[in-house]
Amino acid sequence: MSCEGLNPMPEARAFRRSPDEVMRLARMGCSHPTRLSFLRQLLRRLRAEGWRFDRPVWEVDANGVGRAVYRAIGPVRTYSLVAFAHDLPPEARSDRVIATAWDATFALFDGTPDAADLDRLAANVPLQEAGRISPRELSLSRANRSVRLFDHVVERLAQGAQPDAAMLLETGYLMRTTAVYGSGKFGAADRAAIAQRPELSAPFQAEMLSVWLTRAFTVDLVEHLARARGGDKAARLAPDLKRALGVGNSTGLGMAPFLIRHPVLLNNWMLAREEALARVRAQASIGQPELADFMAAIEAARANADLWTSAHDIQRAKLADLREGLARIADHVANGWDRSAAHPWDDLWHWGQETLPLEGQEALLAAMLEPHGALIDGLGDCMDADEGTAFAINGAMRMAELRAILQAHYDWALGIDYMQPAQCARFWYVSEDKLEPRLGERHQEPGAERELPLDTGRQAAALWQALHDQPDELPVAHLLLAAPEHRPAVRRAQITAQHPFAEIRDNLIGADMLPIDILRCKLAFFGATRFDPRSDRWVRISLFQDAPYPEDLNGGADEA
Amino acid sequence: MKHDPRTDAALDLTLSEISALTTRATRGAGRSWGEAEEAAEAACWLARAGLDWAGALLEVLQPPEAGADCALRTGIALADAAALSGPPNAQRTINSPCFLLPFGARVADQTGQRIRVTVADTQIVLAPGACPVMAGPGRMSGPAQVTLAPDQQDQPPCPDWPQTHRGTVLATEYARLTQLMMAFTVPTSASSQAGAGAQGDDND
Repeated sequence: MSCEGLNPMPEARAFRRSPDEVMRLARMGCSHPTRLSFLRQLLRRLRAEGWRFDRPVWEVDANGVGRAVYRAIGPVRTYSLVAFAHDLPPEARSDRVIATAWDATFALFDGTPDAADLDRLAANVPLQEAGRISPRELSLSRANRSVRLFDHVVERLAQGAQPDAAMLLETGYLMRTTAVYGSGKFGAADRAAIAQRPELSAPFQAEMLSVWLTRAFTVDLVEHLARARGGDKAARLAPDLKRALGVGNSTGLGMAPFLIRHPVLLNNWMLAREEALARVRAQASIGQPELADFMAAIEAARANADLWTSAHDIQRAKLADLREGLARIADHVANGWDRSAAHPWDDLWHWGQETLPLEGQEALLAAMLEPHGALIDGLGDCMDADEGTAFAINGAMRMAELRAILQAHYDWALGIDYMQPAQCARFWYVSEDKLEPRLGERHQEPGAERELPLDTGRQAAALWQALHDQPDELPVAHLLLAAPEHRPAVRRAQITAQHPFAEIRDNLIGADMLPIDILRCKLAFFGATRFDPRSDRWVRISLFQDAPYPEDLNGGADEA
Repeated sequence: MKHDPRTDAALDLTLSEISALTTRATRGAGRSWGEAEEAAEAACWLARAGLDWAGALLEVLQPPEAGADCALRTGIALADAAALSGPPNAQRTINSPCFLLPFGARVADQTGQRIRVTVADTQIVLAPGACPVMAGPGRMSGPAQVTLAPDQQDQPPCPDWPQTHRGTVLATEYARLTQLMMAFTVPTSASSQAGAGAQGDDND
């Protein structure tokens, strides 16, 4: 990736953090959403380009069963969320990937669907993985009601009253998606087919648009059911309560290997964020608007941290760190920060590095980026990846160069004794039942001989050993002819040499590895908030809380 | 993916599905991860070119006949050596020569030269970054003598890739590849399911 061309700022390079510091799971597991997060990029584009929104189809009965279509109409293309609402008995409601029925199912359609399209989708979308969609669809997803809150909101609105605000804030969403599939899954359009469209070139824009329109659907559905139950006396959801609602998401291990299997993409996400931080730190002064916006961002982060709860011990400790860190930042900004320093943002950053826990440091990063849109938003254009160009192995590379790459980028991996049970305690595999990635205990469970190649550190160490007696001038092609088992490690090393943020620099099969750290990093790039682990390998989060609704961006949706 | 293995209807898969299926089936057939990754990339290349990616893959995953080289292993070696020794000038007997084409294309990419592949009476020209141009009957299954050489002929420009990102597979081929894929999967353990939330309360 080269971001310099977009907004040349070579002096920022000296302020960049090193991959050795950034690419550790302990720090990645403290990631916060930033203004470069994918849902923020989507909303900025929709607003800047004057997208319009309407709801041309609303055929939902008094029991909440039926279909609806939400359109996003851009300057060149239109996309439609096709929603199917179902009558799901409570005993069938499950967030697990093995579930076969949901409260609502969705597809993001490329264009405006006609009656035949809707019939085709009605026959397939409710089946999810057991159905089949087409290249006209860009995503496939489903959601379940947050039953207790959903019923409460309908009941109160039907009575002409507003729901309990505390209860609303505690959950934060009316429905949670349990999977949002895109990029060629189950017949949908491949990423390559849409990546050239400016509005979809940033990562996960189709999925984000789908979830954002799903949020509007969830509110429309509760208001519709309240009207059906309460008639004319039914109230609509108060704007401030409505704005505080997001869409929940329940996600687990299936998403974790993505960051390992897409090293160039991971590099581009991390590098864009790190370049953004470096650009801010390189500023020679602070403007008053930036200072005010930064302080507002800190206050917003504190308010969010107060509302952010979790029952998981690890996350509760992190939340305590976060609240304490944000309080210390606020105090330091008010009382200790030398704003006349040569590089005042860098001065603040260094104070944070020396003073704050990791949670506080990464929250400070997000807040420092917030007031600097003009400086950093263009970096969003650098966060996609042409992974095909990095695939071919350079067979002409000499052993000496490969050794140097391993020394420079895999030092974290080479000193580990992977024969120790704790260092190889886990193995990643694909499950027989759902073909989803899972994590097994190597010393207690069968199947390790079929493990996925996510043991990146162990592979790098094995390659390092294989290079031991090889002459410096021997080309890689010759090594791979004799020892083809090292091919994945050679490819990753060559990619990392060009993309230094490509590799998570931790042992991904160690006993102390927490998959939720990988999930948190990825979900922060999505823009997720209220990260709430339910175990060390699955979480609930919220998307688009406090974000505008379609009618906020186009001044009033068609309520047809 | 719904299919009926009793019929041999053509099924339509996305490149993402072809890549995942090929990687897993290749591993399920006992090949290494390095070979599985290369096979997936090659299968997608063949699908984009409108060629029989699934038939070629299934042939590759069979043990090669005596005296014939594996197209996947040969292709990997040729592509790895391209930056070292330039375009090849070689004649070999290859099992499933169709599967050699993506690697010939990579040689063309790496050397910046057009490569001509001759398989019996079929000629394929591979230009850097371009869709393959084929002349002849196009029969490329089974072991065959294959010649790879720099293309010296004056050819019209090679076409751009078609704007399609799908590939077809016969139902019987899909069933066989799925069977191979399943050999690489692991039954989910009870502890893994519990940690993944299987016993949790979904009502919040």
